[in-house]
Amino acid sequence: MKKSYLAILLLPGLVFLAAFMVIPILLTVGSTFYHESRFTVEGYVHFFKDPYFLKIVWTTLRVSVITTLLCMALGFPTAYYISRQNPRRKGLLLALAIFPLLTSSVVRSFSWTIILGKKGLLNNTLLSLGVIQEPLNILYTPTAMIIGLIHLFLPLIIITLVGVMENIDSDLVKAAESLGASRFSAFCKIIIPLSVPGLIIGGILVFVGSLTAYTTPALLGGKQRVISTFLYQNAITLNDWYLASVIATIMMVITFIIITLMNKLAAKLNPKGS
Amino acid sequence: MAMLTLENIAVAYDQQYILKDFNLSVEKGSLISLLGPSGCGKTTTLRLIAGFLEAKDGRFTLNGKDYTRVPVNKRNFGFVFQSYALFPHLSVYDNVAFGLRLRKVSKADIDRRVRKMLEVANLTGFEQRFPKELSGGQRQRVAIARALVIEPDLLLFDEPLSNLDANLRVNMRVEIRRIQQELGITTVYVSHDQEECFSISDQVAIMNKGIIEQLDAPSTIFKYPKTEFVARFIGFNNFISFDNRQENGREIQLQAGGHSFLAIQGEGRGAQKGLKGAVRPDDLKLGTSDEIDLGANVVTGRVKVSTFLGRSYQYVVNTELGEFTVNKEMEQPYVSGQEVRVLFPVEKLILVE
Amino acid sequence: MKEKNRGLGLFTLLIYLFLLGPLVIIAIASFEPGGALKFPPTGFSLKWYQNIFEVSMFKTSFITSILVSLAGNLLALLLGLPAAYALSRFQFKGKNALNAIFISPILIPGIVLGFTMLKYVIITYNLPVYTALLLGHTVIMLPFIIRVIASSLANFDFAVEEASLSLGAGRLKTFFTVVLPNIKSGIIAAVLIAFLESFNNVDISVFMTGPGISTFPIQMLLYVENNFDPTIAAISVLLMLFTAVLMFLIERLMGLSYFTKR
Repeated sequence: MKKSYLAILLLPGLVFLAAFMVIPILLTVGSTFYHESRFTVEGYVHFFKDPYFLKIVWTTLRVSVITTLLCMALGFPTAYYISRQNPRRKGLLLALAIFPLLTSSVVRSFSWTIILGKKGLLNNTLLSLGVIQEPLNILYTPTAMIIGLIHLFLPLIIITLVGVMENIDSDLVKAAESLGASRFSAFCKIIIPLSVPGLIIGGILVFVGSLTAYTTPALLGGKQRVISTFLYQNAITLNDWYLASVIATIMMVITFIIITLMNKLAAKLNPKGS
Repeated sequence: MAMLTLENIAVAYDQQYILKDFNLSVEKGSLISLLGPSGCGKTTTLRLIAGFLEAKDGRFTLNGKDYTRVPVNKRNFGFVFQSYALFPHLSVYDNVAFGLRLRKVSKADIDRRVRKMLEVANLTGFEQRFPKELSGGQRQRVAIARALVIEPDLLLFDEPLSNLDANLRVNMRVEIRRIQQELGITTVYVSHDQEECFSISDQVAIMNKGIIEQLDAPSTIFKYPKTEFVARFIGFNNFISFDNRQENGREIQLQAGGHSFLAIQGEGRGAQKGLKGAVRPDDLKLGTSDEIDLGANVVTGRVKVSTFLGRSYQYVVNTELGEFTVNKEMEQPYVSGQEVRVLFPVEKLILVE
Repeated sequence: MKEKNRGLGLFTLLIYLFLLGPLVIIAIASFEPGGALKFPPTGFSLKWYQNIFEVSMFKTSFITSILVSLAGNLLALLLGLPAAYALSRFQFKGKNALNAIFISPILIPGIVLGFTMLKYVIITYNLPVYTALLLGHTVIMLPFIIRVIASSLANFDFAVEEASLSLGAGRLKTFFTVVLPNIKSGIIAAVLIAFLESFNNVDISVFMTGPGISTFPIQMLLYVENNFDPTIAAISVLLMLFTAVLMFLIERLMGLSYFTKR
């Protein structure tokens, strides 16, 4: 009786996801190995032999890694500061971090075009201050993408870390201090290790987000392609569906590997054991 | 005649049996408690009776009607939860009226019965309050009123007092007992609190690992535990393993490591079986060689630890037959290492299995 | 000690300047009277706000987005509410795996979801644009609906449900009279959060929009490809106001703690 009851509750959602997500993905992956009525791995061989394609993968990975590391480095102290404020201020700071997260990524990335453009706010300011003589070329470069992606994902890692740090018993730091640790070494020995799982979950979100982001590279990357825009270009503009399928598969494999590796890392670094 | 019977009940989660060949019968109108450590199966038994769990095997009847396969919502039993489980979105009045509305009772009747019930539960004036605006004791009374107003055929309590503070617990258990006796409703009550069970029940079933170790009136259990588990559970923590026993009329002669002991088949205590003697720390006598003569039921030993308990001292005495714990009121305590004698009073030495 | 706190406070201030500055700048720049977006603006004008309403594609794509989000939300709720309930209420074998499947649309790259759906659902069955958008958006809303409702159910004492059963209500009746009223605000919050996810979505919609039919964010992307006037800045301001209102509602309904949980 209970089994059929569970089935009634769960099956509609499962069938829906199977039909519109799982099966299309499996068919796409399958289609990359079965092309023009024969089994083949040519698509992948071709892909990994082409320096242009490899450069796109390389750029995407580089941008994602830099974005993730910077988000971690910038997010950690910020989250620590927020987690130690009184509830009112904490609530306000969290709300101000969540707001951009809920705002359209088109709006958020577009706002950087005003700042980073050749005649943008940044160049104008630096020129008038005499710091530079020639306007900097930032917009439509990987640097602009990184800035845009950090802007996009920093709030995510901040709120994730605040959630984790809030749950660290503040008596732990006091206990460490009573045992002779300085405030700083208590921070290093208590707060940092206990926050590592949160840092890694946040890191996964940022990395996967950066790796697969479409809007930001499309708006700020100019001609510089990343995997996601490259996939779109092949599927829609060039109509090369076979190549697009190969790219989609590679993207999922990379995502899967990253998530698995980072989860393993999180389990390994978790001071409470996995 | 038994009104509630469980016959050969089996309950399992994932192939793991929690109850197996479980039997229980309860007299009409009485309150029976299921008492035992966590994991003993008491809550499982209660949830099975309520219908939240399905029996894998066996039969459950009430007043001769087979309830084994009747779904919860068709049973008409009142259940009082540990967390009270009041409907947070309904007022006190609507909480109590909930069951009646489902029974399509007329509006006027609902109003009359709800108000009557709230009066019984001392809740008049709280009709429009919401659960979160009530104290723990008030919530508890709403929960009881809600379970009783449907005039249930059976009333079930799952640790109903464990979330209340100590004073309130005592008041509430008197209250529960009063209402239960007033309405003469058969009740099954689960708790892990001994004092609570003993004070409230007509009968107590001590459970361990899915079986009932002893089912008796509270005073009988308290005085004459049948098994070592029950004895330990209710505070007998001195045990002697005897080598053999011989019955001689009402007397039972026992031997342990060269010492001879005497126990007695007391009035109302039934046959004493088993080869293990149990005594409470309060019932053992302790004295020096001047105070206690050597003979039957006496063992010599040395004080190992002495602890001040306030009214009395507690000693752990090391003897040839093992360590015994003795409570004794005295001005000048014995010191560690001092030689003492322990006397096991004949009428206090209980044999258990 | 105080010294270090102040340093950290300053650092946090700079981070927030980085996060919110661009949004403030775009808001101020939206009042630029000239034809090119500038900061600081050369004057004050509302004419680009007017322009939003003059470009008909903005109006139609806005309506498309709203309709798709609402219809998708309804569908996601019908599929997700029972699933969230089952996953929160019962213990059963394979529960973790099921949880992972229901949450997976968040982790699978949106661009891949969009592409594979286009290739094997939309083109195969020759679905009209609206249907395609509806299906795609339902897929991405489902995990949010399930997660938010599940986190609301996590605070619900299921003994209350048993109390209702023991008083004589059936399972379905219990769900509607006892469970639903108590997770009402969680459901509304779930709908709002899913709505924002769907309304802002680009990477799935980008594969499904057809000739003459597109969603609002896609229309914005198309517009900035060819124009650098402040219209998009004006739209951004309106969208931010809209987001702020929804976020305020979410906060009232269930607080913001949902966002800090992972």
